[in-house]
Amino acid sequence: MRMLKSILKVRWLSSLAFLAVMFIITGLINPDFFTYSNIIECFNSSVVFTLLAVGVAFVIMTGEIDVSIGSTMGLAAAIAGMLAQRGESWALMIVYSIIIGLLIGLVNGYGVAVLGVPSLIFTLGTTGIVRGLVYVFSGGKTTENFAGSFTNFGSQTLFGQITIYYTIVLVIVIITHLLLTQTRSGKYFIAVGDNVGGATLIGIPVTATKIVAYVLCGIFAAISGVAFASKYGQVNIVAGAGYEMSAIAACVLGGISLSGGLGNIAGAAIGAVIMSTISRLLVFIGLSSDFDNTIKGVMLITIVVVDALMQRRSAEAARRERLVARASGSAR
Amino acid sequence: MMGGNVNLKTNFVDGLKKFTKKWEFVLLLILLAEFAIFGAANFEKFFRITSIFSSITNFISICIISLFVTFVMITGGIDIQASSIVGLTSIVIGVLWSDAGLNIWTAVLLAIVTAGICGALSGFFVAYCGVQPMVVTLGGSFLFSGLALLISGLSKTPAYQGISGFPGKNELGEFISFRALGKMLVFDLIPIQIIIYVALIVITYLMLHKSRYGRRVFLVGVNRQAAEYSGINSRWIIMSTYILTGIGAAIAGVLLTANVDSAKYNLGSTFTLSIITAVVLGGTLSTGGKGSITGTALAAIIICILRYGLPLCFGISNQNLDLPIGIMLVVVVALRAYFAQGKRPVFRRKEKDCAVPK
Repeated sequence: MRMLKSILKVRWLSSLAFLAVMFIITGLINPDFFTYSNIIECFNSSVVFTLLAVGVAFVIMTGEIDVSIGSTMGLAAAIAGMLAQRGESWALMIVYSIIIGLLIGLVNGYGVAVLGVPSLIFTLGTTGIVRGLVYVFSGGKTTENFAGSFTNFGSQTLFGQITIYYTIVLVIVIITHLLLTQTRSGKYFIAVGDNVGGATLIGIPVTATKIVAYVLCGIFAAISGVAFASKYGQVNIVAGAGYEMSAIAACVLGGISLSGGLGNIAGAAIGAVIMSTISRLLVFIGLSSDFDNTIKGVMLITIVVVDALMQRRSAEAARRERLVARASGSAR
Repeated sequence: MMGGNVNLKTNFVDGLKKFTKKWEFVLLLILLAEFAIFGAANFEKFFRITSIFSSITNFISICIISLFVTFVMITGGIDIQASSIVGLTSIVIGVLWSDAGLNIWTAVLLAIVTAGICGALSGFFVAYCGVQPMVVTLGGSFLFSGLALLISGLSKTPAYQGISGFPGKNELGEFISFRALGKMLVFDLIPIQIIIYVALIVITYLMLHKSRYGRRVFLVGVNRQAAEYSGINSRWIIMSTYILTGIGAAIAGVLLTANVDSAKYNLGSTFTLSIITAVVLGGTLSTGGKGSITGTALAAIIICILRYGLPLCFGISNQNLDLPIGIMLVVVVALRAYFAQGKRPVFRRKEKDCAVPK
């Protein structure tokens, strides 16, 4: 029981448990689901969302938000697609997307951290600008007809049916997770999100941390664009619209608090798998995919409401404990 | 008598001076500048009153919803589910009318009630459970758009097609009954949506700036604890703003359905960012406590005119409009933040967050 409680306290572990429960329920309803390849496929298909969610997790941890990731992804995907049409190399696409992400991240970071514009509003503005740039670059047309090697790359598997993409993403997730939980400067993100004033007072460079968070977020979103283009084989001009909301929801499902200072990267990655796997599980349960958004919404609301109520209860319990301790202290 | 006159005059001048320091004044200048620039570029095409009106009609949902979202943002919340309530309202009207065979006006009424309940649900979680408004309404936007899709499955019309053929054309080809809400021209000139919009501006203005309810909304936004101590039921106030937004979204949904003669589950799904843009550009503080209906209304009209004028006068294609609107939003908020920076203490926002009772 104590072990169960301590697991529930580690927020990303409870997200993982939630994912496992989802799998088990699906498997109980339809035993066909319980094959190795089905479960692996759930992870493989979450590449784009995982990258987006991990990126935006940096920003959310610092207590800000970034809604421009969807259009950043769209822009990077369109440009990667154009390079793929010419048969350019992978390295070039990654370099381009890093540059795109860096620039957008710097603009967002400057506006939010230096100018002090509320983050939702500023990134809303950059959403419009970046989406406009997608139209400008693609000329309003769908980018398609990529070189075969580009689209095939995504479906190649390494060991145990895990695609190259998911392997790369997994490595990135593990590295960033360790960097953020084990290194000194990695902990700055959480510290800034938890208490800006306190972080400033103990000498954490708040402005720089926020800018770095936005830059990382932009780069991750842009790289997810390359994965998107390769996965779907064509890039629409509205590609990625609405993805930002799913990515933010994934972070929330992974136990990252939108007020900042709580959560970690592993949680974001698991939340992304939950988010992108629901429609797949629905097929196995035998419901139409029309239920997709309804279930996502119910789940999201239930989880955050339960979380809020539990936090309130634990805060009250802590207060009561303090009062009791004080009372017994003064009695002595 | 003379004294009174002089007094009135100085009052007026003082009022004008005060007004020039307000954000609404800047918005008015931007609007005038738009008219001047577009007028200079292409006078004859731009200053056609019917096309200006129809540009606002195209944008009417965002204009209307942003009025109500202003309430939510003044209390320090945010509402990103309104756009999915538009689609839900539309499909509820369609299914109740065409498949359940209800009278169209009963269907409209039931749809508005549904939307109010949707708003109340999210409002309840925000106000009474203390969940962050952004997350709840994010969940709400998934939930309500999902529900809209499910409800459209109840209809015999395929979801992608949309339910059409609403009542409302007599033998003379005039729009009557339900369709009149979307197509009627008052005095053969002004679209009925604009009349409704103006009426809603007046109503929301009176509610927010002239009524006791409005003062409470502001006080809850400025300092929730103080509001609570002065006997205001802050939870109910917060919840009520979400109900209002739901109803506002429903009104927009009704007008849109009547206008396009099609009840579809995904009507309005792209409005979210535009709504927030209008509210924020209107000077409402996203941290709460400050904002005005006139500002929101002016900002919404500024965006309308921009969307109307740019393609007409400078040949920018409709698809490219996100770019200039985004640039405008970023430049305006950045400039505002830059000029406000000297005036505000560094940690003000965080301090206020802490002041809200959890």
